[in-house]
Amino acid sequence: MENPIKNITYDALVIGAGIAGGEAALNLANTGFKVLLVDKELSVGGKMIMLSKVFPTLDCSACITTPKVSEISRHPNITIFTGSEVGEIQKISDHEFVAKVTKHPRYVRVEDCTACQLCEKACPQSVRDQYQFGLIGRKAAFIPFSICSPKAAAIDINNCTLCGACEKVCPTNCIDFTQEVEVLDLHVKTVVIATGFDMFDAKKMPRYGYEQYKNVITALQMERELAPTRPFNTILRPGDGKVPDKIAYVLCVGSRDASVGNPICSQICCMYSIKQAQLLMGALPMADVTIYYINIRSFGKGFEEFYQQAKGMGVNFVKGKIGRISEKEGGNLMLRYEDINEGKLQEAEHDMVILSTGVLPNTGIDKFFVNETLTLDPFNFVGQSDVLASPARTSIEGVFVAGTATGPMDIPDSILSAGAASSEAISYLIQHS
Amino acid sequence: MEKKPKKIGVYICHCGGNISDYVDVEKVRQSVEGEDIVFIAKTTMFACSDANQRDMVEDIKANELDGVIVASCSPKLHQLTFRNVSIRADLNKYTYVHANIREQASWAHSDNKIGATEKAIHLVQAAVAKARYAEALETNKIKAKKAVAVIGAGVAGIKAAIALAEKDTDVILIEKAPVVGGRVAQWGSLFSTNETGADMMKRLSSELLKHQNITLMTNTEVIENKGSVGNISLKVRTTSDDVDKQQITEITVGSVLMATGFDFYTPEEGEFGYATSDKVITLPEFKQMIDTQSGKLIHKGKEVKNIAYIYCVGSRQTDGENTYCSRNCCTSTIHAAVTAKQKFANINNYHFNRGLRTYGKQEILYADSLRSGDIYLQSYEDGLPTVVTEGKKTIVKINDILTNGREIEVEADLVVLVTGMVPRSDNNTVGSLFKIPKGRDKFYNEVHMKLRPVETVIDGITIAGACQGPKNIAESVNSALSAATKSYSILSKGELETDPLVATIDPDKCTWCGACEAACPFDAILKVEKGGKMIAEINNTVCKGCGMCAPVCEPDAVNLIACSSKEIMSMIDALV
Repeated sequence: MENPIKNITYDALVIGAGIAGGEAALNLANTGFKVLLVDKELSVGGKMIMLSKVFPTLDCSACITTPKVSEISRHPNITIFTGSEVGEIQKISDHEFVAKVTKHPRYVRVEDCTACQLCEKACPQSVRDQYQFGLIGRKAAFIPFSICSPKAAAIDINNCTLCGACEKVCPTNCIDFTQEVEVLDLHVKTVVIATGFDMFDAKKMPRYGYEQYKNVITALQMERELAPTRPFNTILRPGDGKVPDKIAYVLCVGSRDASVGNPICSQICCMYSIKQAQLLMGALPMADVTIYYINIRSFGKGFEEFYQQAKGMGVNFVKGKIGRISEKEGGNLMLRYEDINEGKLQEAEHDMVILSTGVLPNTGIDKFFVNETLTLDPFNFVGQSDVLASPARTSIEGVFVAGTATGPMDIPDSILSAGAASSEAISYLIQHS
Repeated sequence: MEKKPKKIGVYICHCGGNISDYVDVEKVRQSVEGEDIVFIAKTTMFACSDANQRDMVEDIKANELDGVIVASCSPKLHQLTFRNVSIRADLNKYTYVHANIREQASWAHSDNKIGATEKAIHLVQAAVAKARYAEALETNKIKAKKAVAVIGAGVAGIKAAIALAEKDTDVILIEKAPVVGGRVAQWGSLFSTNETGADMMKRLSSELLKHQNITLMTNTEVIENKGSVGNISLKVRTTSDDVDKQQITEITVGSVLMATGFDFYTPEEGEFGYATSDKVITLPEFKQMIDTQSGKLIHKGKEVKNIAYIYCVGSRQTDGENTYCSRNCCTSTIHAAVTAKQKFANINNYHFNRGLRTYGKQEILYADSLRSGDIYLQSYEDGLPTVVTEGKKTIVKINDILTNGREIEVEADLVVLVTGMVPRSDNNTVGSLFKIPKGRDKFYNEVHMKLRPVETVIDGITIAGACQGPKNIAESVNSALSAATKSYSILSKGELETDPLVATIDPDKCTWCGACEAACPFDAILKVEKGGKMIAEINNTVCKGCGMCAPVCEPDAVNLIACSSKEIMSMIDALV
């Protein structure tokens, strides 16, 4: 429950309310422990709530995430702080941490907001919508996205001109510019880190032309085009709004590539690209979809079968790494690549290119801890002190880690990892109560 | 007493296009709007979203509805969600009726929008017919035994047992073999730590023995399973070296955690020269070789220099049962190859693969092996390598796609078949005992890969580790701890609520013919004496309400709560 209580003691602090943090919080709460769940975003649900469908079952992502989100939001043992950041965490005794949590003002009283969207309509300021990964714009007074939780407006104060238009139209007078930053000292017995991952910034590989050629987008942007709550209500290329019919996927963008500082495999890009390819074949039956890959890594339960299914549907798999992308007049793109099967360099024209960008760690997590050292692994993910026998343990006793904070993983693995972290946290709480 | 006519709310879900792309949801809404008991009929983008759930609660309270229907996805996914909505709106949860118009209409008939819409209309009308008679029911409360039987004492079972014991739960750890430790205890050096498998399992076993609330039973198998979640009684048989001495023990637990592991695939005779050439061995055999030997690597009296590894043997088969990828073998093989090269002189590794799958951080191992000079040769599924014996030579041939399909031959001193994980051969005995469903790949199947990944459709039975599908050690442990958490959270309150949706017997009609008892898959029917005659009686805590007994009852003495003849007949009328 969203709750403004200060200076209270919780059993567990869960940092990050994505699918891993949410699962860990629910496991703790369902076994009777009081949980504080903190997320820097305005909604719980993490990255998963933004996705279209999920592999390999093609379940609608929202259908799986929203009931979990709903259960988390309503659980009597869970207190949620959205739009909030964890600052310093100090271990003050064997089984007690004090966490400084900064609650950023939303400038909207969530309990009074009905999400009627009148403020959105009235607001004169337009900016890029980060929840649609920049595909479209939003207002400075806005509802983050249609299935967000809490479903309430927020004011983006950095882009707000304080014109007051939203305040005037709000039927419940829930907009409140007097809200201030609150810094709370919260006492907890255990901490679960579920801070998730960051995506590789495709701009770091200028040879692929991201944000230089309009019809080159990232797979996360394509996720939004395919999602039920999609911005355009169809698939189109951003350059001119044309419906694409020759689509290319470039795999391993920012993964398995020491030249951009990330030598490891991101573990999810093959599968999300294959999934998107299948969805595109469904949405645009006449379109050609080609996936350029190094190795296809369909290793999980039902994944290989899903890959074979994509081949059967007519998705074209080309073994070869893309060297360079250039733009032709009219917005089509030329892909230059090493065709392994033919053993030579080839060029292919596509009218839309999707870069399957990799998974990177979220940085700065180790800085939370002021009098203890949280060890990171060589790739800057949270280090696992007993990686095989107790994968959720970290270098600090009483601090556990869940999901992609430890490294790239898919949704089922994140949920299992969260199950492990909550198991450790529950044991820790019972043993030290 | 004259009852007030019921007031029902109906919600038709778009499922964000999953339904509404094929089913005309507005038409469905209109088709039930006029029904006498339907007070509200709405469509919604996502019925399960928090905002819609809130709206439903408000609708129910503001209009004093007697029940709601949601027409959306499978009840497996969201029946519970909407029963909870009913509870929050102060309704009895059994007044809720679910209609599945996604799996049964939009997805099944995506090629026929008109037909899909028509079917959805019938399904929702049938739900309305059921809602007309749906009654408020009270759940049964049963005491749950705070103890878990963990079956299998490999890495997953041991970790699960420790995790449960730490949560003040009694554990009975049952292992078929004379010793604990499973597969991992047989392994030498492990990828990503400096510990050997044997040492790691020694460490975990000593941790296991520290817990007083864990009872370890080795040489033991489960032979009988009765009861249901909260009170499961098992009969286990312990054998000792003296074959004649068998001990049968009865135990009662609240939940069972299956951690029975996997088997390695055994190649068929002649498969890549297996059993026909003495130079061909499997990966587990190779791992044992490098762990036990030192100095020179010797096979059949000869020094081994050139090693050919053939990947995906028994996995990713195009014409075979095992179509799945076995997940851990690429990394396991490269790790063994690297270890062999470090430990023995003059080793050359040749990897005949089908595309390496060293996912995540395991990629580093692959890069290391490339740097150390290992040769990787690749083919697709239609051009697998061949093993030929020419005189005393064993030659592995491949048309290598990485060098433009050139035929490359390697004369191998040893051929290692990279055999993957397969479901255990004894799954049919112990798995069938617990009625655990299996997936396409014949591993035990979870309820839902993302929502309920360690639960099975049998309440109280959880699955952990490689019995659910191929996994490496860390993945097995994660799944084991998740299963332990789930088993614990079922039992932690000491009391369980069970569905009142069970069979009932009309004692006047029952003549005890025994047909129901024979039909019951859960042993829930007892023979009792009542009113001077023998009749059937239902054990409510065991009955699952599956309905198998109802149609075989000739005198029609069996009735299912919430599926009464009245409800079912009215649904059939709406459907046809």
